[in-house]
Amino acid sequence: MSAPNSLRCLLRPSAAVPRQIAAATWTPSPWIAPFSTTPGAGKAGTTPKKNVPKPKAAAPRGVGMNPTGKKQSMKKFKKAQGAKTAKPPLPGERKAMRKRIQLSNNNALPVEGLAELEPGTMLNPKNIGTMAALPGAMQDNLRSLEAFKATQFWPMFRQPATLIRSETVDLMNRMQSAASKKETLRLVVTGERITGKSLLLLQSMAYGLQNDWVVINIPEAQELTTACTEYAPIPDTDPVQYMQNNYCLKMIQAIRKANASVLSKITTAYSHPELPQNIPINSTLLALANAAKEPESAWVVFQALWKELMRKGAARPPVLFTLDGLPHIMKVSDYRSPAFELIHSQDLALVRLFSDVLSGATSLPNGGAVLAATTRGNAPRSPSMDLALAQREAEQAGTELPKPEPYFKGYDLRSEEVLKTVSVMKLKGLSKVEARGLMEYWAASGIFRATVDEKAVAAKWALSAGVVGEMERVNLLTMHP
Amino acid sequence: MASSSRQAVTAAFRGACRSSRGQWQPLNQQFQALRIQDSVPGATRCISTEIEQPTDYNSIRAAAEIDLTPGASAVERLANARPVPVSPSYFTRMPKFNDRFLALERLARTYGNLPRIPNSHVQHVAWQTLEDMKLSLGERIKSTEFARCLALVKKLHTIHPKLKPRAVKEALQPFKKEVQPFKVEKKEVGVDKYGRAHAAGKRKSSVALAWLVEGTGEVLINSKTLPEYFGRVHDRESALWALHSTDRLGKYNVWARVSGGGTTGQAEALTLAIAKALMVHEPALKPALRRAGCVTRDPRKVERKKAGHVKARKSPTWVKR
Repeated sequence: MSAPNSLRCLLRPSAAVPRQIAAATWTPSPWIAPFSTTPGAGKAGTTPKKNVPKPKAAAPRGVGMNPTGKKQSMKKFKKAQGAKTAKPPLPGERKAMRKRIQLSNNNALPVEGLAELEPGTMLNPKNIGTMAALPGAMQDNLRSLEAFKATQFWPMFRQPATLIRSETVDLMNRMQSAASKKETLRLVVTGERITGKSLLLLQSMAYGLQNDWVVINIPEAQELTTACTEYAPIPDTDPVQYMQNNYCLKMIQAIRKANASVLSKITTAYSHPELPQNIPINSTLLALANAAKEPESAWVVFQALWKELMRKGAARPPVLFTLDGLPHIMKVSDYRSPAFELIHSQDLALVRLFSDVLSGATSLPNGGAVLAATTRGNAPRSPSMDLALAQREAEQAGTELPKPEPYFKGYDLRSEEVLKTVSVMKLKGLSKVEARGLMEYWAASGIFRATVDEKAVAAKWALSAGVVGEMERVNLLTMHP
Repeated sequence: MASSSRQAVTAAFRGACRSSRGQWQPLNQQFQALRIQDSVPGATRCISTEIEQPTDYNSIRAAAEIDLTPGASAVERLANARPVPVSPSYFTRMPKFNDRFLALERLARTYGNLPRIPNSHVQHVAWQTLEDMKLSLGERIKSTEFARCLALVKKLHTIHPKLKPRAVKEALQPFKKEVQPFKVEKKEVGVDKYGRAHAAGKRKSSVALAWLVEGTGEVLINSKTLPEYFGRVHDRESALWALHSTDRLGKYNVWARVSGGGTTGQAEALTLAIAKALMVHEPALKPALRRAGCVTRDPRKVERKKAGHVKARKSPTWVKR
């Protein structure tokens, strides 16, 4: 079993990289997560602030500043502030707590008869409606890929387990057939809020890890496009593309850690003279991935790794490339060019790489899948993506295609182009059989106390329309008399 | 000039009485015998009827006596026929009203002794008022006459409905107002041919219409699913409370439209609508639903604002001087 909380997954590229430790006074603590999704705050940990005036204790309203101008306080002295007894949390500590991912809980009952996930478990339609536990080693791999999210419901159970639903079996079978035919499955997972889109990506990653695929994951697309990691133009590109070295380095480390067993079996076929370190031909891909030690060389190493993976050959495994938060890359990013113009997300090299595979511009020669999940929580509006996905859905259903609004100017043609030929999987609520499986698992874990019978299932299913997250809210997060 | 005016008048009469032309023909001739002279010679001329050449007044004779001898032929009798108005009240100012009145009197004489029901049991009818009657008939009706007529109407109306002759019903019909505000028609409630029961519910300022059909427990509100429409679990529970309290949650599908008010009001309006629709499917559930509080409409509403107050009851801040 893995450690209850991995701090590694909290680290961002800028933190994971041993940058020049500027201030002698500052020592990196494992509890400090020196990053932030909010721009500007990210540098709080890396560069110790000097000459920053201490924040003043907030003055009570009406004293001193007198913003209202109504009544002047006649008090001569300020009230003495109460002595602070508790130690304030260190910078970044609160965020670390917030982003902490806890995968086990010893207070939860162990579920008897809970089968562990096996390579073929998610292919078998007989398993629809059952839960499968994630094996311990895989938990670490998924953790390093950041497949788990803090908003998910892991800390309530003894062991992380996922529900195998009909969409899971469908997707895994499509992935398997794509890999066996050496084709690329290009698919967008969409659906309403908390319908299990990210969980489906997690399941696909688990499938890939167990079946010796190389799994690459972009856990939050917004980290790439909201201008919170460093970027630099790639020389000799026209139009200019931008690399994100820190993010790349983090990603390579995640790939290396999660896919170590697969990468150590594959050997390089090309010499890579551009690398900072000499990697001779026939050395393992793991060694190649290990060459990324500095953010400066990360993009080059990633390109070399990608080139090796894209080599057509018998010894190459299928590749799974997943991205969560598709709308974030379907718009103009928050980055600016040297001319202070906004950069389109598709001009970021890493995003471009993903989009090319998703759009089918480059195919995976050894087979594999590229999956993107939309998000509803913190998603920017992307009318082009909505339209394109609606059109793909209509194509799949054989109905009339929705048309773009003729007088609307907010469409983004580059994004539409990416989604021209993808297939779409729309997640909806669970069936009653699946809902029952889930509720029985909750009952066995000791967090759902009522009897699970047809009546209870029907009641909860009606209140939540079968949507997984709503099932959790209705069953586990609502107090009942 | 004079002759042309006379002809115009007769022509107008003909036009008015075209249907019974044969009968009125002799009347035309009689008009020829009439003459209204100017009382003041040389005064401005009024409308008058003149005979072309009123030479000999002595030649004017009354019509011959009608020969009622049985031996007389049909042609001879026809020659002696006199114009008689169809209505006995032709020469009154209010023939239509009079006719109805007379008809009512006739009916009262014929059927006045039929058993009656007490006034409290009589169906409440809004009768036409004097003004209504004047307008509808275009006649000047005396109020006393109208009162007597209406008393007769009300008397005939109290005849036992099972014994009331058709003629009476028909005669009373024109005295009723066109719109009957007291008439409450009970709506036919039931499941339609598609198996849907339909009901409406209200709460605060929300109105909900729900259609209930036997199914698997799916819910669509304004074409959204329940969790999409109500973010709060409590609202979802109160919307489906009628089904929940009767253990019918997985048994019916709900299709509903809600408008007005806020989320709570809409959810509780849905409770009522769904409960009423459920009672159409299963009327025996009414006591259970009443115990669950789903049958009665909650009458509480926002209290109106009062003059001199900031809100319904809140007074303005008291200021000294």
